[in-house]
Amino acid sequence: MQSLSASSTAGVLLDLSGAAILLLAFACLASKLFNRYVAYYGAQSVVLAFAAGTSAVAFHSLELWILAVLTLLIKGLAIPFAARRVLVRRLALKRDAAMSTGLSTSLLAGGALTAFAYLVTRPALLPHGTAAAAVVPLSTAVILLGALAMVVRRHTVAQLIGWLIVENGVFLGAITLVATFPFIVEAGIFLDIVAGVLIMVVFVSGLTRQLAEASATELRELRG
Amino acid sequence: MTALAILTALAPLAGPAAALVGARARASAVAQAAGAAVALGAAIALLTELTGGRPLQGWDGFLYADSLSGFFLLTVAGVTLLAALGSVSYIAAQEDSGELGPFQVKLYFTFFGLFAALMLASLEAGNLGLLFVLVEGSTLASAALVGLEGHARSLEAAWKYVIISSLGVTIALAGTLFVFYSASALHPASNLGLTWPYLLAHATALAPQSLRLGFLLAVVGYGTKVGLAPMHTWLPDAHAEAPSPASAMLSAALLNVGMYAIIRFLAIAHARLGGTYPRAVLLSFGFASIVIGALFMVRKGNFKRLFAYSSVEHMGIIAVALGFGGVLGLYGALLQVLSHALAKSVLFLASGDVSLRYKTREAAGVSGLLAAVPVTGGALLLATFAVLGSPPFGVFLSELTIIRAGFARGSPIFPLLLLALLGVAFFAFARTITATVTGGPPDPVPASPYRDRAAAAVSAAPLILGLAALLVLGLWIPAGLDAVLRQSAAVIG
Repeated sequence: MQSLSASSTAGVLLDLSGAAILLLAFACLASKLFNRYVAYYGAQSVVLAFAAGTSAVAFHSLELWILAVLTLLIKGLAIPFAARRVLVRRLALKRDAAMSTGLSTSLLAGGALTAFAYLVTRPALLPHGTAAAAVVPLSTAVILLGALAMVVRRHTVAQLIGWLIVENGVFLGAITLVATFPFIVEAGIFLDIVAGVLIMVVFVSGLTRQLAEASATELRELRG
Repeated sequence: MTALAILTALAPLAGPAAALVGARARASAVAQAAGAAVALGAAIALLTELTGGRPLQGWDGFLYADSLSGFFLLTVAGVTLLAALGSVSYIAAQEDSGELGPFQVKLYFTFFGLFAALMLASLEAGNLGLLFVLVEGSTLASAALVGLEGHARSLEAAWKYVIISSLGVTIALAGTLFVFYSASALHPASNLGLTWPYLLAHATALAPQSLRLGFLLAVVGYGTKVGLAPMHTWLPDAHAEAPSPASAMLSAALLNVGMYAIIRFLAIAHARLGGTYPRAVLLSFGFASIVIGALFMVRKGNFKRLFAYSSVEHMGIIAVALGFGGVLGLYGALLQVLSHALAKSVLFLASGDVSLRYKTREAAGVSGLLAAVPVTGGALLLATFAVLGSPPFGVFLSELTIIRAGFARGSPIFPLLLLALLGVAFFAFARTITATVTGGPPDPVPASPYRDRAAAAVSAAPLILGLAALLVLGLWIPAGLDAVLRQSAAVIG
C-alpha cells in the first residue's frame, strides 16, 4: 500500500476532484429544488468516479477500475435517474420548504464544519506531502456536510440524498487514504447502498401516499 | 468447524425458503423455528469446539470465530429460536384476523430469516469491512420488519430507523477506514490488514492518532445500532411499531450485534491506547444511556416503548461494564448480554400476546392480566422483575458482578451512581407493569386470539423456555459457560 505524493499528476487530480466534490456538496446544501439535489448528487458521483479512475491509474489496480465503472454506472447514472423518475416526478416534488434553518445559516454551519474537518484530520494524523493529507480533510468535510443536510432538511427525499453524500465522502476517503478496501467489501458496500436506496424509496413512497406530503415535520406521531 | 459456522449462519434461511415456495403463516413459522433450532444447535457445537481450542480462521481472514464470537452466536441464535417460536402463534393469529395479508406474511418470514442469517454471519466475520456490510444488511432487512404493518406510524418508525441507522453505520465505516489507515505502516495486504485478529496481533505498530479517531467513530457508529444515547432516538419507535417477535429480535439480538462490533474495536484500541481513553468513551456513552433510559421509563404509556427504553438502559449498563473493564467487568458485561437478551425476549413476546388479546399497546388499557391470562401475566411479571435485576434471575448476578467490578476499579462514585439509576429504573418500570398485571380483569375477559388450545400452548412455550434459562443463569452458571465467559473476557483484554 504505497502512498501518492501530492505533487504527482494523480495527486493533483485527486486533490482537484476532492475540491469539486466538496463544492458540489455545498451546492446541494445551498439549493432548494429537489431536481437540483439529485443533479448535484449525480455530478458529485461522476467526479468521484473520475477520482477512482485516477487512483486506478496511479496504483495500477484493476479493482479500482471496476469500482470507478460501478460508481459511474450506479451512483452517477442509475440512482439519480431512478430518484428523478420514481421520487421527484412521480411525487411531483418541486421546492423543498421543510428546512429547520435558513439557507445562509446552514451554509455558515457548513463552512464551520469544513474548518473543523481540517482541524481534526490535519495535525499529526496524516504525513505531509501526500495526496491523502490533502484529500482526507476534504472527504471528512463532505461527510459532515452530508450529515448537516440530513439534520437541517426535514423532507425524507432530502435526507436520503444527504445520506448518499455522506457515503460519497467515505468512498472518497477510502480511495485516497488506503487505496481501497478489499474488493469484496467494496462490492458489498455497493450492494448495501443499492438495497438501502430501494428500501428507502419504498418507505418514502408509502409515507407520501399516507401523509400527502412526506415531510418529516409531519412525522410527529411518535414522540418521547 | 467451518461447516458448523456456515450451518449456523444459513439455517435461519429455512423460514424464507418456506415462505417463498408459498407456505402459509403456520408452516413458514414452523420452518423458521426448525431452522433457528438447527442454528442454535450448530452454535452450541461450534462453541464447544472453540472453547479451549484454537479460533476458526479461513477464507483469507473473512471468516473468523473465537469464543467471543461463539458466545454472541449462542445468544443471537437462542433469541432467534425464542422469537421464531413466538412467531408461530402470533403471525398465524394476525393472519387469521386479517390484520396481515398473505403478502405481508410472506414478507415477514422472508425478512425475519434474512435478518437472523445476516446477524449470525456478521458475528463470524473476521474482516471489519465485511462486518460493516453485514451489519448494514441486517439494518435493511429489519427495517422491512418494522414497516411491515404498513400504516403511517409504522412507516414513519421504519423510515426513522433506516435513515438514522444507515447514517450511523456509515460513520462506523469511516471509523473502520481510519483504523485500517492506522495499520498502513505495516504495509499489510489489503485483505489481511482489515481483519481484526491481524490488527490485534500487530496493535503495538498501529498509529495512535488515527486509531483514536477510528475507535471514537466506530463507537458512535455502531453505538447508533446499539442504541447508546444520544444516538438512540430511532429505537423506541422501531421497537414499538414492529410486530412483537420482531421487536424481540431487535432488542435482544440486533443491539447485541452492535455491541459485539464495539467490543472488537475496543479490544484493538485497548491493546494500543491503554485503558484510559477507551474507558472514558464507553463510560460517557454508557451513563448517558442509563440516564436517558431510566428517565424516559418514568413516563407511562405504550408498554413496548417502556421495554425499548429499558433496552437503552441495559445497553448503557453493558457499555459501563466494558468501561469498568478488568476480568470482572468484562465477565459481567457478557453475562449481562445473555441475561438481558433472554429477559427482553420474554417481555416482548409476552407483550405480543397481550396486544393480540387487548387490542392495545397502551399500558393504561390493560389490567388484570394475572386473572385473565395467568401464563402470560405471570411470565410478564417474572420477566419484569428479572430484567430489573431481582434475584434469583440472571440479570441480578450480572449487575452484581458489574457493580463489584466498579468498586474494584477504585472510585466508588460510578458504581454508586449506577446503583441509584438502577433504583430509578426499577421504580419506573415496575410501577407500570404491576398495574397491568394486578387488578380485576376487564369485563368481558378478552377472547383468545388463537385458533385452538394447541396454538395457545405454543405461544406460551418461548415464555417458559426463556424464563427457565434465565432462572438457571441466576442460580448456577454451568461450568462450560463459565469457561466461555472467562475465555471471551481474556480476548477483550
